[in-house]
Amino acid sequence: MNGPGLFTAHVPGTSVVHRMPLWLKLVGVLVVGATPWFAQSVWPLAVTTVVLVGVVLAARLPARRLVRSMRGLLPVLVVLLAFQWWSRDLAYAVRVVLGIVNAFVAAGILTATTPVTDLLDGVVRAARPLRRVVDPEVVALTLGVVVRSVPWVAGSFSSVRESARARGLDRNPRAVVVPTVVHVVAFARSTGEALAARGLTDPADDDAPGPDGPGASSRSAG
Amino acid sequence: MTEVRLEAATVTVPVDGSPGQRTRTILGPVDLVLTESRVTVIGANGSGKSTLLRLLNGLVTPTSGTVTVDALDTVRHGARVRRRVAFAFTDPISQLVMPTGREDVELSLRRLHRSRTERRAAAERVLERFGLAPLADQSVYDLSGGERQLMALAVVLATEPGLLVLDEPTTLLDRRNTLRLRSLLDSLPQSVVVATHDLELALHADRTLVVDEGRIVFDGEPATAVERYLALSDAT
Repeated sequence: MNGPGLFTAHVPGTSVVHRMPLWLKLVGVLVVGATPWFAQSVWPLAVTTVVLVGVVLAARLPARRLVRSMRGLLPVLVVLLAFQWWSRDLAYAVRVVLGIVNAFVAAGILTATTPVTDLLDGVVRAARPLRRVVDPEVVALTLGVVVRSVPWVAGSFSSVRESARARGLDRNPRAVVVPTVVHVVAFARSTGEALAARGLTDPADDDAPGPDGPGASSRSAG
Repeated sequence: MTEVRLEAATVTVPVDGSPGQRTRTILGPVDLVLTESRVTVIGANGSGKSTLLRLLNGLVTPTSGTVTVDALDTVRHGARVRRRVAFAFTDPISQLVMPTGREDVELSLRRLHRSRTERRAAAERVLERFGLAPLADQSVYDLSGGERQLMALAVVLATEPGLLVLDEPTTLLDRRNTLRLRSLLDSLPQSVVVATHDLELALHADRTLVVDEGRIVFDGEPATAVERYLALSDAT
């Protein structure tokens, strides 16, 4: 399994970034994500990159996590840069790549400085107006599981690639993609079963504490 | 003490591609009343142990017959049953659905404590009780197999269920962690039902069930049950 990247886990801390309200961090991520749409040159994006590096330092996030996260993204960025350079021009290609890097780092800072449970609370609040259509707790839980699953999928891909290499099949995309998909589906099933076993997928309106409510049986246990 | 009652509980599955939707019985019919504090379940791979365990908290519902926990039917009152019956899987990494143990314990407590402050305090108490506070903020991927298994148990026990069901909890553990887990299980106030291939663990019970080809072929004293299981294994 891969080591932790920025998205893997919350990095506890007391920095000003950690203490920022969730809404402010989310607005920050949105602004960073929207910058490429408005930037007419590479400079606003380069300044954003410098600011984000400053935020990483201010939050005292381990630099190796940032490097590790970026290493996984690097092949995609290189291909994208080459394609955009070929199809448009170098300045445009750099803008596209910097835009993606900035959005990736901004999202990473958000997940690294915010406990997932706080993110869940934020999503539940945000999704409350939609509660007639969808259970806000389910939306929040889905987000939490997605955040948790990203490193697992990356680790699974890495393990499968190593197995394929050991069998001399590392140049065969099917030998890597098919087993990874099978692993991911199995992981999704077992995660779903674990959530169901914990009652986390049960309807929220069925959980009013009463004679049979939470903890009732433990009072008679033992 | 939690009472689990199975009456003619049968689980069948459709046989893929068969004409006329043929079905295959993978468990039952089973008639059981479990009231003991410690029950172990032993049997070969594919014998029906896991299906039997999944019936107890409604993860699997019987195709025919009934399963009740403290008189609550697992089909009609599934959510209430799951609050009483915690389930721990063989592989804890599929059970830990949040990036860190602390966040996972807090997730378990979301419905019990709406206030974030109360939830944090309750999670801290749970982690302290299991001696896991120093590991609480580590990525679940950075924990050892034994630490993950203990964290997974803390996560499901956080809501203080009456019954804990464990499906082969020692399969991925070394001996030291197996002993640590056994000692933890001994100390729990909850009723415990464990399916296991670890015959030493199987002997730590008030009652042992031997499952073979979807049937309970022995139900009684653990030492006799283990002898029966060994005889069955040697015969095949």
